[in-house]
Amino acid sequence: MVELIAKSPCAGLLPLAIGDVQVVEVDLGVLTSIAPYAGQGGATSDALRAAHGMRFPKLNRATGKDGARAIWFGRDMALLAGPPCDASMAEHAALTDQSDAWASVVVSGAAAEDVLARLVPIDLRQAHFATGHAARTLVKHMAASITRTGPESFLILVFRSMARTLAHDLKEAMEAVAARG
Amino acid sequence: MTFSGLRVLKEGLTGNRGWAPHWRDPEPKAAYDAVIIGGGGHGLATAYYLAKNHGLTNIAVLEKGYIGGGNIGRNTTIVRANYFLPGNSEFYSHSLKLWEGLEEDLNYNVMHSQRGIINLFHSDGQRDAFVRRGNAMITQGDDAILLDREGVRQHLPYLDFENTRFPIYGGLYHPRGGTARHDAVAWGYARGADRRGVDLLQNCEVTGIDIENGAVCGVQTTRGAIRAKKVGIVVAGRSSQVAAMAGMRLPIESHVLQAFVTEGLKPCIDHVVTFGMGHFYISQSDKGGLVFGGDLDFYASYASRGNLPTAEHVMEAGMTLMPMIGQAKLLRSWGGIMDMTPDGSPIIDRTETDGLFIDCGWCYGGFKAVPASGYAFAHLMATGQHHETAAAFRFDRFRTGRGLLDEEGTGSQHNLH
Amino acid sequence: MRLTCPICGARDRREFYYQGEALARPAPGAGAEAWDEYLHLRDNPAGVRRELWQHEAGCGAWLVVERNTSTHEVLGVSLVLDEAQA
Repeated sequence: MVELIAKSPCAGLLPLAIGDVQVVEVDLGVLTSIAPYAGQGGATSDALRAAHGMRFPKLNRATGKDGARAIWFGRDMALLAGPPCDASMAEHAALTDQSDAWASVVVSGAAAEDVLARLVPIDLRQAHFATGHAARTLVKHMAASITRTGPESFLILVFRSMARTLAHDLKEAMEAVAARG
Repeated sequence: MTFSGLRVLKEGLTGNRGWAPHWRDPEPKAAYDAVIIGGGGHGLATAYYLAKNHGLTNIAVLEKGYIGGGNIGRNTTIVRANYFLPGNSEFYSHSLKLWEGLEEDLNYNVMHSQRGIINLFHSDGQRDAFVRRGNAMITQGDDAILLDREGVRQHLPYLDFENTRFPIYGGLYHPRGGTARHDAVAWGYARGADRRGVDLLQNCEVTGIDIENGAVCGVQTTRGAIRAKKVGIVVAGRSSQVAAMAGMRLPIESHVLQAFVTEGLKPCIDHVVTFGMGHFYISQSDKGGLVFGGDLDFYASYASRGNLPTAEHVMEAGMTLMPMIGQAKLLRSWGGIMDMTPDGSPIIDRTETDGLFIDCGWCYGGFKAVPASGYAFAHLMATGQHHETAAAFRFDRFRTGRGLLDEEGTGSQHNLH
Repeated sequence: MRLTCPICGARDRREFYYQGEALARPAPGAGAEAWDEYLHLRDNPAGVRRELWQHEAGCGAWLVVERNTSTHEVLGVSLVLDEAQA
């Protein structure tokens, strides 16, 4: 029997540390999209709290914490990142395993906002985008999910096939920000 | 007034005081045999060929603004005959032949420059498609040469051949393609039509089309009513508005296409180069400016300006293809209003109203078509029959699904071209 | 040009995909003329019209956008879903 070696999406690309910014790949565990059936939003949120200890996130927000997080992921959809989604949720929502579909990185450091300002068309500064805020938007030309996980750190998800482009675009922006001193 | 080398020399030595206006500024008559709505390139060419080929000289061109103030005055001036589909091929082939004789025909320097067009390709599949296109061009009687990578390098040594995403595999070279001076084309046709007796009525906006018993009988304008038994609508950019005056809805949505010009530089790009994978094309004007553009902004617009994301995309594509242009300073940009049809091809046809004809839907490729469009539309208006080179540009092809001319092969639907 | 997505808020034009004029789809058996109108013929006004856009790189919602084609002024954005249920 051949043993297949699993490679992470950003293997060989990350980590990067340039200037005041670091980028590392993170293993978020199991990724499951949760899309409540019509009229089942409340029931889904209750079930999520019962099973995983967090509410279904409101628009543009994330709930939970490192290790078990629910990220708002689009219209009537959240992404549960961490534990395998409890089977009881299936009663209220469509569940889809997306574990291998996404490249997940954390951008952190004093200049993280400046780096992302070069790549993302929304305002990610603390005053507009505080810890626990989440958005679906673009990183350069890539569709992405961005969550602020701390005063100087952002969790970014893009499609796994875009991992190399993400690392490249982040590196270019980090170098450009660092060059300004 | 005729142009000649001797005349240019004499005027040059005597302070250029002997030049007279190139056309008259007549008052509108109460009636004409035919009127053309629209004094752009296509309208002026139509008037010129109506007079020259069909002897119809009691005609007028009605222009809302001034001659050459529309899309003919704002485009990227490319002239080519590199189409693939029957229906398009013979038309653009005819147009290029007319271009090649245009300066002599009009006695006007339209600065037609056959510097050659190179369409780059970046994959085996794209090469196959270009081989097929090149063969179609040759079958039509036009010229096409398939260049390999080294062949392209000899012509265009300044390109980035090693680009990771789009390495250059080769190019389809169309030596007879090139550019022309856009304003001069309008002026040349205007002068030629005027000299044959056509009235060019500027500041004359059409506000209504008069129809009686299913037949057109004249137009209302800001300079008074004008009677005519034949009316041609040639107003790309505003086709839907003018057609609505005759109760028609068109298969057209107006989109914005941006273009850009840099400061004047010494000669560096001596071809027209297209980079289809990046939606980018470029040439250098005789004044030295790099003239380039990309794809539509992709939303309906009459604003004559686009948005920055598309501008950024075009610059990125340009830098990808030829990093050397990164130091050039952009001088100006603009947005033209494009008559976009579902299949990306134009309409030259009769309408359901007797005597009312329409020439529209040129998408983003109207400039090179100016001579053949005027030629064919004049033929249609004068004889009632489609010209053999433009018989495919039928109005009803969308409704019937027969004879769609989807050159790009993306489907006959709005917003796909 | 920016559109205010009812879900995500004001966002850059880059995040949106433009589909075309917002039109009522004819019944399957409505006949060739009705389908020709729906698929091809447009009023194409130089002014205000209703269009379909999708917040492609955002929440994914389909939107009805009321927009002036002469000025690019956006007069209103609503969810297709809300309109369908109204």
